[in-house]
Order: sequence, then C-alpha cells, then structure tokens
Amino acid sequence: MQVVITGCGRTGRALVTRLDAEGDKVTVIELDDTVKRGLPAGFRGRFVLGNGINPRVLEAAGIAHAEAFVALTPNDSANIVSARAARDIYRVPHVLARLHDPAHAPVYTEFGIATVGSVQTTVNRVIQLLHHRMLEPHQTFGNGETLLVRSRVPAYLAGRRVAEFNVPGEIGVVELSRAGHSKIPEPSTPLEDGDVLSFIVAATSLGRLRSFLGGKWS
Amino acid sequence: MRIIVIGGTGLAEQVADALHGAGDEVTVIDTEPGRESALAKAGLRAVHGDALVPSTLEAAGALRADVLVACTQSDEDNLVISLLAKKRFNVPRVVARVNDPANDELFNHSWGVDALVSPATALVSMIRQES
Repeated sequence: MQVVITGCGRTGRALVTRLDAEGDKVTVIELDDTVKRGLPAGFRGRFVLGNGINPRVLEAAGIAHAEAFVALTPNDSANIVSARAARDIYRVPHVLARLHDPAHAPVYTEFGIATVGSVQTTVNRVIQLLHHRMLEPHQTFGNGETLLVRSRVPAYLAGRRVAEFNVPGEIGVVELSRAGHSKIPEPSTPLEDGDVLSFIVAATSLGRLRSFLGGKWS
Repeated sequence: MRIIVIGGTGLAEQVADALHGAGDEVTVIDTEPGRESALAKAGLRAVHGDALVPSTLEAAGALRADVLVACTQSDEDNLVISLLAKKRFNVPRVVARVNDPANDELFNHSWGVDALVSPATALVSMIRQES
C-alpha cells in the first residue's frame, strides 16, 4: 500500500516503522529535517521536507497515487487542512487524521474526517480499566466511544425480557447465545439462566449496564 | 454591520478597533483569557475561547454575523475557521488572513474564504509599485 504520512513525532515514527516493516511504501512529510535521523534503519520509503498543508508538498510526496493518507502532526488544524485536501482534491481512498483536543471533534465530524483521538481513547480505556474491569469489551468502535460487550445473564434475571436491557442511545442487546446456539433475539424473548448476551453499549453507559447486571455474574 | 474578528493582539485587534470606530458592531474571539475588560473598554464585545469549537463561534453570534474575519497567526486555524463559518454558520462574507505567502493559493472558496488579506504579499506588491 502507498501511504503518505504528515508528522513524524513519536506516533508517526512508530507507525512508519511498522508500515515499512510490513512492506508498505511510505512517504513521510515533515517540517523538521532533523527527524529524518529518527527513521528506522534501512527505511525504504521517502522523506519530503515541507508543510503538509501545501499542495506542492503533498504532490511531491505522491499524494495523487497514494492509497492512504494519515495526518499525525501535533496541530489539529493542520491535520484537518491536509486530510481534507487528500480526500476531496486528491481522492485518496483512506484518510485518517489525529485529533488532539477533544473539543475539536465536532469540526472533524463537520468536515467528514475520520479521526484517531489519543485523548479520548486513553480516557475511555482508563475508565474501562478502573471502573468496568468485569466488562472487558470484545470490540471497540471509533475512539472507544462504543463497545461490544458479552456477559452471562445472572440467575436472578431469568424470566426478564430482552427489551428490559435496551436503553435507546445507550445499551442494545444484539445477540443471544443459549445452549451453544446463537441468535438475534426479539425484544420479547424471555431470558434463561445460563444465557450469554452481547450488548452494544456507549462507553458512558457502562456503569448503567454494570448495575443492570448487578455485578453478581461471571 | 455585525462583524466577528478572530485573533489576538496585533493585527486582529487593530482591525477590530478600526471597524468599531467606523460604526460596526464588533465581537472579538480570542484564546487568551483576561482580555475581555480591555476590549470592553475599547467598546468591543469579547468572547474568550477557541474559534475552532463551533459553540464558541455561536456564542460570538456567528449565526447572525454579516462578516467574519479569521485573523489568527496560524494559516491552518484561519482556513478551518473560515470553512466552519461558511459551512456551518452561513456567514455571508468571510475574510481570512494569510501569514505565509506560500499558503496564498489555499485561501479560496474551497475553504469558505471570500477574500484574503496577505500582509506580506501586499507589502511586497506595494514595494514593487514604488520602485
């Protein structure tokens, strides 16, 4: 895959090292010439000195033929400007941008730019580990705002209906495993002792789900 | 006219002052705290905050503004603020400052910019005309 990356700090360097090792063709755009020294030994990609918001710099980096563009500079605005150009002008199929200040998230959303947010991801993960250890997610979506969690139904909830767990916008039951068989349950399906449910849950509603499950489950 | 000027001391402040002096209703958005009282003394309405956050622009009256001037010292910020003003708040006229002439070409309608102000370019062309 041909990947163009702007910003080669800690994250950029780690990503470049990994992509290069996996055989991707990486071009790094950086304002600071000295970071070249930090690139992995035997780096097979290219280094372009310049500002990634500048169309000529992007073009010199081969943006027109890139399959992916990742904006990793420490500046949210710079990431938005170059990511939007990559997507709308150069039609790069996969565009990702780093989000530093969570308050800027609405701008990325407004312009339709997919983000990787270190602050939000870290906060969600720490809260998960501190408060909801028992609800270890099978899958997380976006920057950890939404999770897929599986849990055995505690015995005392047998007889309750699936619909009782559904909270619009917060918690949804998406799957039921019973006696080795899995199905997508109806809201009216009564639960049995030993059922395992898959919930789709907002990170902010994990506490609510935990209280539903009473903490008496394994 | 209702005008929002974004930026700190320096050019943004001078623009705001001049517009206010000409009778316009001016609101200044600045990230630096504690400037409200100084600005209020000059007759300017001040909103402390980050103009890259839509709620800040809204608090400054972006929905009713006739003109928005993105006048920060960061070209990236000015571009993003301009597009936000145009796309989300439908501001009729968006004017943006270009700090680095290398970025001149970015300041156009694709970023919601109706007019650009490039101090360096203006100065250079003036010098060329004089000589």
